[in-house]
Amino acid sequence: MSAASRANRLTPYLFLAPAAVILAFALLYPIGYMVYASFLDWSPSQRIGEADFIGLRNYTNLLQDAAFGESFWVTIKFAAVVVTLEMIIGVGLALLLDRNIKGMSLLRTIFILPMMIAPIVVGLMWRYMYHPTVGIFNRTIKSLGFEEGIPWLSDSTWSFIAVVIADVWQWTPFIFILALAAMQSLPRSALEAADIDGATEWQKITLIKIPLMMPVLIVTLMLRLIDAFKVLEVIMVLTNGGPGLSTEIVALRIFRTAQEFQELGEAAAMSNILLMLLMALTIGMFFYSKLQEARAARMRAAAEQEEAH
Amino acid sequence: MLTNFNFTGAAVALAMTAGAAAANPYEPYAGTTLVVNFPAHPHFDAVMEVLPQFTEETGIRVEVDQLQYLKMREKQTLELTKRKGDYDLIAYVVFSKADYVYADQLENLAKYFMNPALADPGYDAGDLIDGYVANIGVAGGDKGYLPGATGSLFGIPFGSETSILGYRQDIFDKHGLQVPTNYEELLDVACKIPELEPGMGGLASRAASGHHASHAFLLHLAPLGGRIFDDQWNPIVNNEAGVAAAEALKTIVDCGAEGAKTFGFAEAGASFLQGNSAMFLDSTVFAGQVNNPEKSKVVGKVAWAPHPMGVRRGSQTGGFGIGIPGNAQNKDAAFLLMQWLTSKEADKAIAIAGGNPSRFSTHSDPAVLEVQPHLEVFGKALAFADPDWRPIIPTWGKINADLGTTLSQVLTEDLDIQTALDGVAERARGIMEDAGYYTWQN
Repeated sequence: MSAASRANRLTPYLFLAPAAVILAFALLYPIGYMVYASFLDWSPSQRIGEADFIGLRNYTNLLQDAAFGESFWVTIKFAAVVVTLEMIIGVGLALLLDRNIKGMSLLRTIFILPMMIAPIVVGLMWRYMYHPTVGIFNRTIKSLGFEEGIPWLSDSTWSFIAVVIADVWQWTPFIFILALAAMQSLPRSALEAADIDGATEWQKITLIKIPLMMPVLIVTLMLRLIDAFKVLEVIMVLTNGGPGLSTEIVALRIFRTAQEFQELGEAAAMSNILLMLLMALTIGMFFYSKLQEARAARMRAAAEQEEAH
Repeated sequence: MLTNFNFTGAAVALAMTAGAAAANPYEPYAGTTLVVNFPAHPHFDAVMEVLPQFTEETGIRVEVDQLQYLKMREKQTLELTKRKGDYDLIAYVVFSKADYVYADQLENLAKYFMNPALADPGYDAGDLIDGYVANIGVAGGDKGYLPGATGSLFGIPFGSETSILGYRQDIFDKHGLQVPTNYEELLDVACKIPELEPGMGGLASRAASGHHASHAFLLHLAPLGGRIFDDQWNPIVNNEAGVAAAEALKTIVDCGAEGAKTFGFAEAGASFLQGNSAMFLDSTVFAGQVNNPEKSKVVGKVAWAPHPMGVRRGSQTGGFGIGIPGNAQNKDAAFLLMQWLTSKEADKAIAIAGGNPSRFSTHSDPAVLEVQPHLEVFGKALAFADPDWRPIIPTWGKINADLGTTLSQVLTEDLDIQTALDGVAERARGIMEDAGYYTWQN
């Protein structure tokens, strides 16, 4: 092989190299650092080099730690509930508002306001609204003639509901705005054809709009799911994980492990477990959408073949 | 208050210059700039008013890096692990004592007090509040974190706090109530008040899940005769005294203002300041706000009493101390600043400006009491400050969090107290075992 052709073949790698270097430093190095830290017994008073290597002990400790197990379960419950509610309400709103209404752009801006507020502020705002005596919810309930207000943040079931409501309030607009955008870019021809065939509104939604929006919805779902697993500030301000451990999601536990318990290694191990869980979810979603695409492609091919005959 | 401060400031200056007339011990360090790390905290705000006096008298400049106190730990951890640190003097919270001393990051103060060029013979260390010194300053003695035959001094209390009972004089007078001196009376009055004053809670206490619930429990544990560990590090939090303390906390919260189950320090304080609770039992740092009309609706209506007695007297000890980092670059001058800040004169000036005094004498000084009359009761309470009301060991963060969440379950979900504390003790044993505290057992 001549030198010229070898150089020729190496050229693409040369161009890729800067990106690879940046990737290695900016992405892989910090993750590697975290993975390494999870094998250490590391207190913040030590430099990382001084920490003892303890192998998998952080992980085995975590598996036996009932409090971490509970946090993990709370996180899964929280993510499942909020994302389901947000998807239903967000897509529902988008379906309702996908029409020419006067002042729609203003309405849309108002709808996405909650998303733009800093999470700390959202937490504080809701905390005052949930206040047992001066909060708007309990004042309303009492002015309606009920004796007792709802123990929003002092009962384990209600406080879980309270953080779910706050999260749904803040993040439904995200799904709404993406669903609306997806809907408005749907091919009008399919809907017109459905009109001509006499499809009802409901049929149009279930048979045309939702299936065509599916790829966007899946990505949206995934983004929200990843976010829901990591939500921290709102819950920290609202309940700080309490009462008991009823709202202590993993992100909060990681924060406390590093900050209060001063165990950086264990916190890193928790982050890794969370990372692996999210990776599994993402890969699962990825394969699911690949499968969907393949099926759609098969159907399209079949349809084209029929047409050709 | 400002004129008053100026007056004392001048008095301090006079006293110091008189002492320095013979030979000025500060002279070799004039022109040095010290970098100190203080928290944003009412005591240190008062210190900032007095600090210019030091520079004026000594010619040593002081640059203060004031941080939010939760941020301090992070910054100090970075600073203290450097080869050459930027800080010459740091304020640290009690818990950091265990970590810093263990990691050999704080200077042992013996060599400074031995140095005749640095140590002021008139310093009167015996006047420093011994409960605070034991809690914040000394390490290496009993249980490792307390004074004792093997202990030595690593810091000096500065901005320390104890617990004190605040009560509404007007409400107590109105119903002819006696100020509680023991726990029986305390719990009795706490539950009578909601009956006598509908809508008002008895005692505003912290109760929120985590650190707050745990802190409130520990406030009662020491006076009721309990401890977290015995001398062999066996958890004894679930013994009779522990159960009594948890029962006391539950009674207090149940007879508290509406929403008491989720109060943190701020909410409990606000409940008292807004007139929704008749008593307040917590840190003395709170006292500064009571007569501030911007924050308080109970100006002039609050009186103070020592922390009620259980089977023994024992009020909390906590807050801050100051120490010299091992990697500081101007250690001698830092010691001079430290000695000056905790001297009798400066302690008084800081108290008048609204800080928490570190000395017994300040609590009975007429000039101080004229401006801060509540300090008289505080001084009496401080004689019983308990340096060992909670363990100061690295594993405590984890045990404290578990204790706090479990107690929150007791308060909100009616978890049985004995079962709850048995669980805490069992998990604490596991944590201590992992950390090697039972190496010498069996």
